[in-house]
Amino acid sequence: MEIRENMEERYREALSTYLKDQTEQALYSGQKISRKTIEDKISPEEIISLHKSILMEICPDTTDKVFHSLDFLLEVMMGYGIAYRELQSLRHQQQELKSEIEIAANVQHTLLDTDIPDVDGLEIGAISVPAKQMNGDYYHFVQDENECMGIGIADVIGKGIPAALCMSMIKYAMDSLPEHRHAPSSVLENLNRVVEHNVDPSMFITMFYGLYNPHNHVFSYASAGHEPGFYYEAATGEFKDMDAKGLLLGVEKKTKYKQYEKSVEPGDMIILLSDGVTECRTDEGFIERETLIEYIQKNIHLKAQEIVNNIYKQLEKLQHFQLRDDFTLILIKRNV
Amino acid sequence: MNITIDVQDINSRVEIQVKGEIDAYTAPKLRETLFPLSEQENISMVVDLSDVSYMDSTGLGVFVGLFKSVRSHNGEFRLVGLSERLRRLFDITGLAEIIDINSDAEGGLK
Amino acid sequence: MEFQSCVKIINEWDIVAARQLGRNVAKELGFGTVDQARITTAISELARNIYLYAGQGNVYIDKVYDAGKSGLKIVATDEGPGIQDIRKVMEDGYTTSGGLGAGLPGVKRLMDDFDIDSTPGKGTEILATKWIR
Repeated sequence: MEIRENMEERYREALSTYLKDQTEQALYSGQKISRKTIEDKISPEEIISLHKSILMEICPDTTDKVFHSLDFLLEVMMGYGIAYRELQSLRHQQQELKSEIEIAANVQHTLLDTDIPDVDGLEIGAISVPAKQMNGDYYHFVQDENECMGIGIADVIGKGIPAALCMSMIKYAMDSLPEHRHAPSSVLENLNRVVEHNVDPSMFITMFYGLYNPHNHVFSYASAGHEPGFYYEAATGEFKDMDAKGLLLGVEKKTKYKQYEKSVEPGDMIILLSDGVTECRTDEGFIERETLIEYIQKNIHLKAQEIVNNIYKQLEKLQHFQLRDDFTLILIKRNV
Repeated sequence: MNITIDVQDINSRVEIQVKGEIDAYTAPKLRETLFPLSEQENISMVVDLSDVSYMDSTGLGVFVGLFKSVRSHNGEFRLVGLSERLRRLFDITGLAEIIDINSDAEGGLK
Repeated sequence: MEFQSCVKIINEWDIVAARQLGRNVAKELGFGTVDQARITTAISELARNIYLYAGQGNVYIDKVYDAGKSGLKIVATDEGPGIQDIRKVMEDGYTTSGGLGAGLPGVKRLMDDFDIDSTPGKGTEILATKWIR
């Protein structure tokens, strides 16, 4: 109540001043009053009622028509008052949702956490950044009893919470694969069955799976419709697309995946990415794969993790710090 | 960003002209407009994408869903007028192997 | 309860009659202009819901007294289709989207007490009370 009396006093003063001589100063105090009334959650119809009663007090000779018109205005503003209160309550709900999503994002982060393994002779860098709070990209490293390193990178078609939920399923399907079956083609064939069976028909996953054998330095891989990565050949200094044919996960139940093999020489690099990397849009259109290669070349002397960090920073800047899609970039380098 | 979807239904042959951008915001409209059509038996559905300036993976999802729905109702589904970039998207995802995207020559929309 | 009067809602003009009755009672009880406007807006909304969704029904206006306070109670009843999911219609943003007006959450906010009872196929009863501060 005290706030209100105080407000009444301020309003009376400002209005009287303005009615006397129409100065900008008085209008400015009016604006300051509205800042305060909004803060105190006073609705529009109350302001009109206050205005009317103060006007009656300071200008009692005003014609009745003006007072009646204010009653009319008050009735019209009723709807805005209701909308205003609804807005306040929706804003509150939005806050709640926001913090709920934040918690979910943390849960997801813990669920999908993967450690970059220590493999003799390899240097690995990885970065994955969601466009919104939750990530629809996923990468995963495993090491089997023969010290072979498996690397999976997947992207759910779609973004946000549905994509993130879907990704958690992939993670558990991967965890439950039998130890000895980490051959890339059979990993994808297994996951395809899981996805086809369990996911909404309009939701699909692209995935790349590779297996690095540190004994003979052969990298075998297969792709389920995933954006092709790059292969850097140290001997020639050339970047090549790692083309691999294969259908998206979850479209056809009995899809077979072709497995490719590549002998990795010292200094060679395997670069894996999600389509958030090449689909990222700038003022001049899409990032071309060539541009990405340029960025990698510019940073090639750095450590693997620094390379991916730097590229992310550059692409983020190019997009004015607004990612349109989740972004994942992994770089595996065979040490010289 | 907007999208217009023009549907021409001539006896069980539906020709659809899509104009604009297909992304997470416009994809639901595309899905809602085309899905009911895809559920008719023996339908022949042709979607012309020549005026699509941008499509992200959400759009891809819509077309795969449509393709599966048409196929399960014994129909025929074709995409025509794909840009270089779109064609690449269908190639990479392996969808070009199962969805007809190459029949512009015979019977595509003008 | 010492006083009760009723308006039968059949057509749009009856909404005005219900508003008028509510405003008169609110004035008699000594409500200020802002609260009068709130009460009549709430009556409007409830009467309009009856007119639009149930076809017909009744709006009662009561004077109520409790523990030294006096107030105005609106009772809106109809034998229309009823409400399937009350939680949904009580959600903010559900009715306002199509320009349908304040909706039930709006009415609830305009008044002090609010109670709703509805059986699909049987009808709806809504009670809303405003107390003089």
